[in-house]
Amino acid sequence: MTIDSAVSAPLRSMPAASPRARAKGKGRATTAIAHLVMVILSIFCLFPVYWMVVSSLRPPNEIYDTSLWPTGASLDNYAYALKAIPIVRMLGNTLVVSTVVTIAQLITGLLAAYAFARWRFRGDKFVYTLVALTWLVPFQVVMIPDYLLVSNLGLLDSLSALILPHLAGALAILMLAQAMRSFPREVIEAARMDGARSWRILWEVIMPNLRGTIASLAILVFISTWNEYFWPLLLSRSPENSVIQIGIQMFMTSEGTAWGPLMAASTMASLPILFIYIVLQRQVVQSFMKSGIR
Amino acid sequence: MNRKTFLLGTLASLGVAFAAPALSQSTPRTVDQKVTISYYNYNLASAGNGADATKRLIAQFEAANPNIKVDGVGAAPNDLTARVQADIAANRVPDVVQMVFSDLDFSVTNLGAVALESFVPPDELAAHFDGISPNGRKLGVIDGKTYGLAYTFSTPVLFYNADIFKAAGLDPDKPPKTWAEVKAAALAITKKTKADGLLTGIFGPSAGDWLFQGVVRSNNGGVMSADRRKLVFAEPAAVEAVAMLRDLYDSGAYTNLDVTAAMETMAAGKAGMYLQTSAVQGFLVKGATGKFDLRASTMPRFGDKPQRPNNSGSALVILSRDPLKRRAAWELMKFMTSKEAYTVITRDIGYLPLRTDIVNDPQYLGDWVKKHPLLQPNLEQLAILEPWESFPGPNYRQIQKMMMDGAEQAVFGGGDPAKAMKQAQDSAQALMPK
Repeated sequence: MTIDSAVSAPLRSMPAASPRARAKGKGRATTAIAHLVMVILSIFCLFPVYWMVVSSLRPPNEIYDTSLWPTGASLDNYAYALKAIPIVRMLGNTLVVSTVVTIAQLITGLLAAYAFARWRFRGDKFVYTLVALTWLVPFQVVMIPDYLLVSNLGLLDSLSALILPHLAGALAILMLAQAMRSFPREVIEAARMDGARSWRILWEVIMPNLRGTIASLAILVFISTWNEYFWPLLLSRSPENSVIQIGIQMFMTSEGTAWGPLMAASTMASLPILFIYIVLQRQVVQSFMKSGIR
Repeated sequence: MNRKTFLLGTLASLGVAFAAPALSQSTPRTVDQKVTISYYNYNLASAGNGADATKRLIAQFEAANPNIKVDGVGAAPNDLTARVQADIAANRVPDVVQMVFSDLDFSVTNLGAVALESFVPPDELAAHFDGISPNGRKLGVIDGKTYGLAYTFSTPVLFYNADIFKAAGLDPDKPPKTWAEVKAAALAITKKTKADGLLTGIFGPSAGDWLFQGVVRSNNGGVMSADRRKLVFAEPAAVEAVAMLRDLYDSGAYTNLDVTAAMETMAAGKAGMYLQTSAVQGFLVKGATGKFDLRASTMPRFGDKPQRPNNSGSALVILSRDPLKRRAAWELMKFMTSKEAYTVITRDIGYLPLRTDIVNDPQYLGDWVKKHPLLQPNLEQLAILEPWESFPGPNYRQIQKMMMDGAEQAVFGGGDPAKAMKQAQDSAQALMPK
């Protein structure tokens, strides 16, 4: 018996794993580890949401307990929050503001981006740079001039004042201009040959092909408007004409924070966004990947 | 004195002599036509008891004064002055503002707050002041004139957890009265229990300087000279107070927690003592109910020196420029500082009554006070209350921040108290009005 056969004999007698089976086993182990890591990360991400919901069910004297489920769970905080602030009205206001701002930014963004992408005109790069630079100016810098403007227009304490400064946004213009520049010029030329003019090319040729980018942008604008805080804070004169982020902040006072009702209000406020996320999960992820995490 | 100087001096004197009565004459004694005034109030920007009580008071006032409509505007305390400034710039001057005491001087010199003596007839003013605690009234006085009437105000109270006291072998019926006793009790607590010994609301981004001023003053120190021109928080008495806090921290008796974290640790029953405004009493009671025995004592003193607490909170000030609105604003201010209003403010929002005669009156707070013994130390301190001083000039917030940064560096950062306070004082003095 040669050394090789001596070594291979016992191996042959064992139920030897083929290279494919070994690879399969290794693959399973890798998958299991990957899943384990993902499960841990999921728990890590979901735990704050779970804690928000659980805290919203705790009575005031159990709010600092660390038990995973309260002994005296109740919906009292929800009832209190609904009574203390006009949550439904504030959610409605936030929805209106976010929807109108999103639609307005898409329309103004599409028109402006089309002009920048489609034509070369004198000073186009300068204007484009100016638009890009406005993105770098923090909103806090223009808050007071904007406030004076909406005050002079007699729009204080109205939803119009919340919407007006956000009718156009640099992010929308830049994102759409970038997408339109990478759109094949041959398709546009073909449309022109077929007799389509600029207006028709924009709405019937370019826009349907940019659905992914537009959906991503819409989600980004909607979420950032939903979470807007400083501008509504300056404008807010009555809860009835304000948005949900201000309503949540109303539970934080110098005499202490009412965590239970605050968590109840936060849970109710996050439901619409959660719904959007569930329905448009893929687009949400893509939108963050396309624009970078904001 | 030459002839020209004499003539100018005489004209100026005559001008002042005629101007003052003219101002009071231009403000009508009654509101006999419809008028709407704005009322900026930070309780309205909150959810819960403060907002409900304020809305109720406004409704009662409107019912009693059918010609006056009150437009309540809510803004958080830290944003309120910025909101007032923005609205003045937009030519929408607020009529009545619930101003935090630290912003009182700024509201006089920069926002146009009106002295009550300048437009309210003296007999009417005297009648309204009757029954108001003298110490409470002087909180809104700057340079001898009343610019604000204390509205929601309170004093520093030492809350303590009687259960933790018992566990540490301390007598909860004999709470510490001096800083030395506080240190001893806190060390006993940290040694025998898992709880923090002492927490305070002195330091932190949202703490302001009101509690710090009370500690410094209790050691006979101060933050500013009587003529409000020179900063004195690096004088020996103030430095000694800072050194005492440093010693508490170094010994392990005092835990460095942010204002909110300290409040929540106390409410969770994980701290022995907590020095903070009595306004947080309602919040602490909610956490303590059914969990631990929450009690309160007066602010600690330095040895034999009497404690000299100052107030926190806000005053009502009038900014109206239109005579009719100014009258309506004064009517609102009178109502909001009446016996009826203070009963609501004390009972439902949790502040001190400016009118002490309602405390034992069964028609107002009499029965309620008997059922709420935690209020007692707060009421005791009303008799010795001193004003929370607001720094003058447009840089008042930077001055306050420099002082607090210096003190924080000395207490928690390991800096030498004398050097840190001197450095802060020298830097801040340059920002004082010349």
